[in-house]
Amino acid sequence: MIFLIQYNRQLGKIIELIQFNESDRQNAEDTRLAMEIKLSRDCNTDEVVLLEASSEEALKKTHGRYFKDIKDIGTLLKDASP
Amino acid sequence: MQSKTQIDLLGERLKKGSRTEEDLTLLDAYRRTFRTPFEKMTRKIREKLKLDPSGRPAKSTSSVIDKLQRESTRLSQIQDIAGCRVVVDNTLKQVVVDLELQECFPGARRVDRLENPKYGYRAIHIIPTIDEKPIEIQVRSLLQHLWAELSEKYADKFGQDIKYGSGEDVIRTDLSELSGLIAESESLESKSFRRIIKHHAAGDKDDKVLEVEYKTLKEVSEISKKIAEMINRTSNYLDSMRLLH
Repeated sequence: MIFLIQYNRQLGKIIELIQFNESDRQNAEDTRLAMEIKLSRDCNTDEVVLLEASSEEALKKTHGRYFKDIKDIGTLLKDASP
Repeated sequence: MQSKTQIDLLGERLKKGSRTEEDLTLLDAYRRTFRTPFEKMTRKIREKLKLDPSGRPAKSTSSVIDKLQRESTRLSQIQDIAGCRVVVDNTLKQVVVDLELQECFPGARRVDRLENPKYGYRAIHIIPTIDEKPIEIQVRSLLQHLWAELSEKYADKFGQDIKYGSGEDVIRTDLSELSGLIAESESLESKSFRRIIKHHAAGDKDDKVLEVEYKTLKEVSEISKKIAEMINRTSNYLDSMRLLH
């Protein structure tokens, strides 16, 4: 699966998330570019990133930065320590 | 197709802050050239190694610009335009995956950030070249990964400098100390794994080995408590900042 994410770094939050099937890669890339151009015109410096994972669950595990806040990750780190 | 010179000139403009529609379109075109090599690599990792990598077929514009501004590098030289990540439970599995990836992609460049951490960041990176494009594979243990995610979140909030040895003092110091504690914990864990494997392979019935491993587990547990204390301390510091401002 493909995930297009607009992410506000300062807020640490996803502003928009759009999912695409793997077969729709071209469309995902076109949408990413359109989103970047629009944000640039609006002088909006949000990060736009295209990510791929087998599922949203898998993505949340490997790219938790986009989905979790600092406290969540701190708690996971405490829990993961043996 | 853009020439290397055109790509590097684009990089110079982005570095100076250009975000024109034309430059964003050119950058997009360059990034798309990594798509097929990225797909080939992730398919191979899934099929041959039965791993589940997640990743980006192309670095975000913000991250590309950050890198160009921070390092004296050219756009055509950036090695991690495309990359994926594999997170494993522990350092034993990390060693196994490291070896498997090297076998799967002979000749790939290997960057050992366990031996040479970068500002506290620890992981193994394997960078094969697929169809003339470098594609980065990050292999992290769960603890290394969560540290990196914490570092990224702090950088989002307090500025990217935090990840590179400067910025907010308290946070940077805590991240550095946390990285050290995790390294210490994983080193003990690794040594323990090696002894257990050796013990098992030798068919050794000596119970003294178990005593040693029990002591090691206790040491690891003490480090875990320090990790938890550190995270609580930083969390309280952040909370107090919100109260003051």
